[in-house]
Amino acid sequence: MRFAVDTGGTFTDLIVEEDDGALRMYKAETTPDDPIRGVLDSVQIAADDRGIDRRALLAKGDLFIHGTTHAINAVVTGNTAKTAFLVTKGHGDMLVFREGGRIEPFNFTVPYPDPYVPRWLTYEIPERVLYDGRVMAELDERAVIEAIGKMKTEGVKAVAVCLLWSIVNPAHETRIGALLEQHMPGVPYTLSHVLNPTIREYRRASAATIDASLKPLMGVYMRTLASRLKDAGFAGRTLVVTSQAGVIDAEHGAEAPIHLLNSGPSMAPVAGRFFARADEAAETAIVADTGGTTYDVSLVRKGRIPWTRETWLGTPFRSPVTGFPSVDVKSIGAGGGSIASVDRGGMLHVGPKSAGAVPGPVAYGRGGTEPTVTDASLVLGHLDPDFFLGGAMKLDIEGARRAIRDKVATPLGLGVEQAADAILKVATENMVQAIMSITVNQGIDPAEAVLIGGGGAAGLNSVWIARRLGCKQLLVPEVGAALSAAGALMSDLTAHHTAHHFASSDKFDFDGVNRTLEALERRCRAFIDGPGKGAQQSRIEFSVEARYPNQVWEIEVPLRGLRLENAAALAALLADFHKAHEEIFAVSDPGSSIEAVSWGARVSCTLRASDDARLAPGAASGRTATRRRAFFAETGFVDAAVKRFETIKSSEVIAGPALVESAFTTVVLPPGSRAVRRASGSLSVEVGQPGG
Amino acid sequence: MATAAKQMASASGFDGVRLALLSNRFEGICRKMANTLLRTARSGVINIAHDFSCSILTADCELLAVAESLPIHVLVGPDQMARTMKEFHPVLKRGDAFLHNSPYHGCSHPADHTILVPVIDDEGRHRFTVLAKAHQADCGNSIPTTYNGTARDVYEEGALIFPAVRVQRDYKMNDDIVRMCQMRIRVPEQWWGDFLAMIGSARIGEREILALANEIGWDTLSEFATQWFDYSEARMVEVIKALPKGRVTRTSTHDPIPGTPAGGIPVNATVEIKPEAGIIEVDLRDNIDSQPCGLNMSEACARSAAMIGVYNSIDHRVPKNAGSHRRLKVHLREGCVVGIPKHPTSCSVATTNVADRISNPVQAAMAELRDGIGLAECGATFPPSLGVISGVDRRYGRRYVNQLLLGTTGGAGAPACDAWMTICHVGNAGMIRMDSIEIDELRFPMVITARALQPDSEGAGTFRGALSAYVEYGPFGGTMEVAYVSDGCINAAQGTRGGLKGGASNQYKIDAEGRQHPLPATGVIPLGEGERIVAISTGGGGYGPPTLREPERVVADVRSGWVTPERARQVYGVALKPDGGVDSAATAALRRASMG
Repeated sequence: MRFAVDTGGTFTDLIVEEDDGALRMYKAETTPDDPIRGVLDSVQIAADDRGIDRRALLAKGDLFIHGTTHAINAVVTGNTAKTAFLVTKGHGDMLVFREGGRIEPFNFTVPYPDPYVPRWLTYEIPERVLYDGRVMAELDERAVIEAIGKMKTEGVKAVAVCLLWSIVNPAHETRIGALLEQHMPGVPYTLSHVLNPTIREYRRASAATIDASLKPLMGVYMRTLASRLKDAGFAGRTLVVTSQAGVIDAEHGAEAPIHLLNSGPSMAPVAGRFFARADEAAETAIVADTGGTTYDVSLVRKGRIPWTRETWLGTPFRSPVTGFPSVDVKSIGAGGGSIASVDRGGMLHVGPKSAGAVPGPVAYGRGGTEPTVTDASLVLGHLDPDFFLGGAMKLDIEGARRAIRDKVATPLGLGVEQAADAILKVATENMVQAIMSITVNQGIDPAEAVLIGGGGAAGLNSVWIARRLGCKQLLVPEVGAALSAAGALMSDLTAHHTAHHFASSDKFDFDGVNRTLEALERRCRAFIDGPGKGAQQSRIEFSVEARYPNQVWEIEVPLRGLRLENAAALAALLADFHKAHEEIFAVSDPGSSIEAVSWGARVSCTLRASDDARLAPGAASGRTATRRRAFFAETGFVDAAVKRFETIKSSEVIAGPALVESAFTTVVLPPGSRAVRRASGSLSVEVGQPGG
Repeated sequence: MATAAKQMASASGFDGVRLALLSNRFEGICRKMANTLLRTARSGVINIAHDFSCSILTADCELLAVAESLPIHVLVGPDQMARTMKEFHPVLKRGDAFLHNSPYHGCSHPADHTILVPVIDDEGRHRFTVLAKAHQADCGNSIPTTYNGTARDVYEEGALIFPAVRVQRDYKMNDDIVRMCQMRIRVPEQWWGDFLAMIGSARIGEREILALANEIGWDTLSEFATQWFDYSEARMVEVIKALPKGRVTRTSTHDPIPGTPAGGIPVNATVEIKPEAGIIEVDLRDNIDSQPCGLNMSEACARSAAMIGVYNSIDHRVPKNAGSHRRLKVHLREGCVVGIPKHPTSCSVATTNVADRISNPVQAAMAELRDGIGLAECGATFPPSLGVISGVDRRYGRRYVNQLLLGTTGGAGAPACDAWMTICHVGNAGMIRMDSIEIDELRFPMVITARALQPDSEGAGTFRGALSAYVEYGPFGGTMEVAYVSDGCINAAQGTRGGLKGGASNQYKIDAEGRQHPLPATGVIPLGEGERIVAISTGGGGYGPPTLREPERVVADVRSGWVTPERARQVYGVALKPDGGVDSAATAALRRASMG
C-alpha cells in the first residue's frame, strides 16, 4: 500500500493506493503551525473511512510520498536560517544587482528587493579563476579563516559559497568547504558548483544561498516527519516530491532542500500527462490546478513536461531566482476565493486579491464580506449550498447574494445573476491570459491541447476557459481535486546532474564532451545502484543546453544516445536542435552552427508497477438531488440536471446544462457541452460552443 | 464610492464588464507580439536589453494598448507613425507592412526600426494598426554605433531613413528594400533575423485582432476603444483633481560634448498642474535651438519624455493610452533642441541622453508641489560599463563588436520608498537586463575584475537614490577598444524636496603598473594587455531631507558598507553606537542642530 500526501495552503490531500491499484482520496485541513499534524490527520480520516486503527493502516504501507510547501513558506515568511555568503572579491554585490529587469515601469511604490543574504553577512574572498580554469589569483586562506571568525561572532547558522568559474575549476570552493568543516564544524554549507554547476554566477549564487538557508529547517522537518511516521506505525520508505517532477528519499531532500521549493505544483503535470494519455490518447495538454487563492498552469508538450530556467521565489523581477530549472508552472492570483470589485471608473476587477481560506468567501459564513468567485457560482446555482465538500460545509447563499448585489451588481447597474456571471467571465479571462502566456513561451497552440482541470474549484469555469482557448476537450480526472497527490503517486525516483562544458559545433570537442557525458553517466549509475535499487525499471536521459552563436538564452535538447561518437551523431544533434528551436520560437537557422554550454543527465527509476489510476468504487454518500435551478448567460435560469460524479456510467452521455458533483468538486456543464465518463473515471467534456 | 462609480457608469454608458474583458484581450495580444519578438530576435539589444515595444492603435491612430516596455518607446510616436502611414498610403490593403524609422515623421530615432501592419476587415476597411518597434544592433550609421552623438546632421549620422515605406504587399516581401538594407547595415544577417522577428510579431498581432473581431464583431471593438479612452481619461481626471494646483520650472543640463555649447545643453521644463480643469501642462519651448550634434530630440521623444516625468509622478494604476494622454498637454517649439526637429537635424541619440534631461526635471518639479508625489532625478547614461567593445578574439581568430550591459544603477528616490537600484536611466525604467560576468568572459577575450556599488554615492534623502556602480574590466589575451558617451560627469542627478544629488559618473584607465589615468566623457579608448578601464555610473537623486530618514534605514546602509559612519553623521544626522546600532540621544541632538 502507498500513501501520497500533498500539503497545500488550505487542504492536505491524501491518496491511498491499495495493493490492487485502486485509489482512495481524502482531504484534511492544513495545519500551518505544525504541518505534519495535518499529514497525520489525513491518514486518520482514511483510517476512519475503513473503520480501522491509524496504526494498522500505516503499518500496511511501504511507500509514503510527501509534497510540501514547508520550504517555500519558510522563505516567504522569513523563517530561514541566518545565512552567510562567500564570494569572489570585487563581486560582493552580486545578490544586489541580480540580473536587472523590472516590471510595471511606472510603479515607484515597490521597493527594490533586498539581497537574499544581507550585504553585512557577505564576505569577499581574494581569489580569481578564469573562464578556462586557470588561476589568476590564488585563494587567500587567511581571509577565509578571518571571515569564519566574523561569521561565528554574528551567529551564522548556514553558509553559501559562490566563486566565479567554480564550475570549471572548483578547487577554491572545495578548499573553502574544507576550511568551513574544520573551523565551523556542524554548520551546514552549500558550494555552488556542487549544488548547481551552471554558468551565470548570479543564478549559482542565488541557488546556493537559498539552499543553505533552508538546510537547518528542512533537515529538522524531514527528520521529524520520518520519526513521527515511524512512531505512528509506518515502517516503509519516506519519499519527498521535488520541483523537478520527481521524488527522492526524504533524507536526500534534506541535503539539497532547494529542490523542495516547488514540491507540490510540480506534480500536477505528471498526473495531467497520465490522464491525457489514458483518457484522450493525447500527448499535449494544458494542466490547470485551481485552488482557493492561486491558479497554477503547467504543460505537457509531446509527452514531455517542459521546464524553465527562470524560476522566481516570488514575483518575477521583485524576488531572487532559484537559479534552478524546474517544471514550468505559471501561477497567478485567481481561484475560488478571488475577490470581485468595481473601481471608481466603473470597471469590474476580479482578483488578484483573495479572501483566502480565512475568512474565505462570504458564503462560508466565517466573516468574509467581499464577494468572490465561489459566491458567484453559488448565486448562479452552480454550487449546491447543502452539498459543498460533500455537505461538510453549509454555504450562505443569501449572504453571497447580498455581497454581489451591493458590491458588484448595483455599481455596474446589473442584475445579481448578470453580475455573478460577469465575475465568472472576468475570472475566466484572467485564467485564460495566464495560460496564453505560458503556452506562447513554450510554443504550444492551445487549440491542439487537452485542458486538464485539476483542483477543487476547476469545474466552476473550465468549460468556458477551454472554449476561449479553442481547446476542444476538457478532462476532469476523478482524482482531480488532489491532482498533485495523484501525480506524486505516479512519479519516478529521479536525480538530475549537470556539467558545464563549452563546445561549438564548428570545431566540436568530441573527447571533452564524451568525458563529460561519461562522468555524468557514472553519477547516474551510482544513483540506480543506490536509492534506485529494486526499482521496476530505470533509465538515463541526456540533454544539452545549447544556442545559436550570439543568442543569450539556451534551449534544452535531448540527446539520442549516451555519447556523441562521431560526425553523424553530431549532425543528428544539430538537426534536433534546429527542430526544437523551430517548435519553440517558430523560426530556425539550419545553416548556423550551435554552441553547447552545459550537459545534463536525468536518471529516473520507476517505483510503481501499475499504470492505472482509478478511484475505488464507493457508495455515493449524502443526498443526491437530480435537478437544480441554475443560471447561464445564454439561457437565463434553467432546470439543470444534477449528476453524482461517481455514479455516471461509461455509456452515459450528459448534455449541458448539467452539474456533475462529488464530495470534492462540482463540474459545471453549460448549454452546448457534453460529457462522458472514461474508463479511468475521468469526466471527458466536449466543450462545444454556446448554443451549439 | 460605489455610488460615484454607478453615476459615472450610467452617465457615460460604460460597460464595466466589457471594459475588463476586452482591455485584457488587447493587452494579451500585445504580450503575445512582444513574446514573439523577444524570443526570435537575434541581437542582444533586443533579447538582453529588451529595447523594443509592441502596441495597437485604432483606425484613427490613437494608442489603444501597449505591452509592458521601456516608456520612452511608446507613449507618443506610434500614433504619429500610423498617421504618416495613412497619409503616404491612402489605400491600405490587407497584407501590407511598412518599415518606419523617420524621426521627422513620428519615430523616436533612426535606430528604432518599426514595422506597422494595418489590420483590414473583410470589406477592406482599415480597423486597427499593429506596431512592432525594436532598436537595431546597427542602422547603417557612418560609424559603428547606433548612438552617433557628435554627428552634425543626418547626413553625417548616416542612418538609412524609411518614412513609412511599404516592405510587404499581399504578405510578400519587397526584396529591393531588403537588399538595400543588406548593403548598408552592418552584420546584415543579424539585421535580417531581427527584421523577420518584427514582421512575425506584427503579423501575430494582426492575426489575433482578426480572430478577436471574428468572435466579438468590429463595431463592438470600436465601441470598446471609445469607452476605454473615456474610462482612462476619467481615471486621469480623478487623479489630477486630487493634485495640488501650481507651476514649477526646473532645469537639468546635459554635459557638454563636441557639437554642444560649452556649458552643455540646459533643458528648462515648466510643469503646471490645473486640478480644476483636470489638466497637466509641460512647456519645453523656452529652450535653445537644435544643435549640430546627434543629441536633438525627435518630436516623439520630446513628448514621451515629458509624459514619462508626469506618469512617474502620479498613481501608476492610470492606464496609459490616448484617453489619459488627452489630459496631458506638452508644448513644443519647431527647431528647438527639445522640440520638433527640422530635417536634416540629427536625432541619433534622441531616446536617452537629452530625453532624460526632460523627464527628470518634470518629475522633480512635480515633487516640489507636494510631498508624496513626483520623483527625484534618475542618473544619466552611458558610462563605459555600457560601452561598445571591439577587437580581435585570438581564441577563435575572429573580430568582435558588442555593447556591454555590465553595470547600471541610477534609480531615483521616491515619495515612500528608496530607489529601484537598477533603473539604468529614466526612459528605460529598469526594463534592461544586466550581463552575466561569466557569459561576457566566455564570449569575449576579457576579464571583469569588479562590479560593485560605490560607497557614499547615493543621493541622500528621506528616501535615497541609487548608489553608483563601480565596474572594472580589460582585455585578456590581446587588446581592446571601448567606445562610450557618458553624461552625468559634471551634472549629477539632482534630488528633490531637500534630497541631495547622487554621485557623478567618472571613468579612468588603470595601466599595467596600476597607475590611474583620467579619461574624457566621450571617447574611443584603446586598452592594451594588462590595462583596465574603470567606469563609475551615476547615482540617483534623493527624495526629501536626509535628516528625516528613518535612522534604522541609515544604519542598514552603514552595515551594508554603502554609507560610511562619517556620512551617516554629517549628511543624515545619525550617530552610531560602537556596536553599530542607533545612538538615539546623539542622533536627536544632531538632527536638532541641523534644523536649527
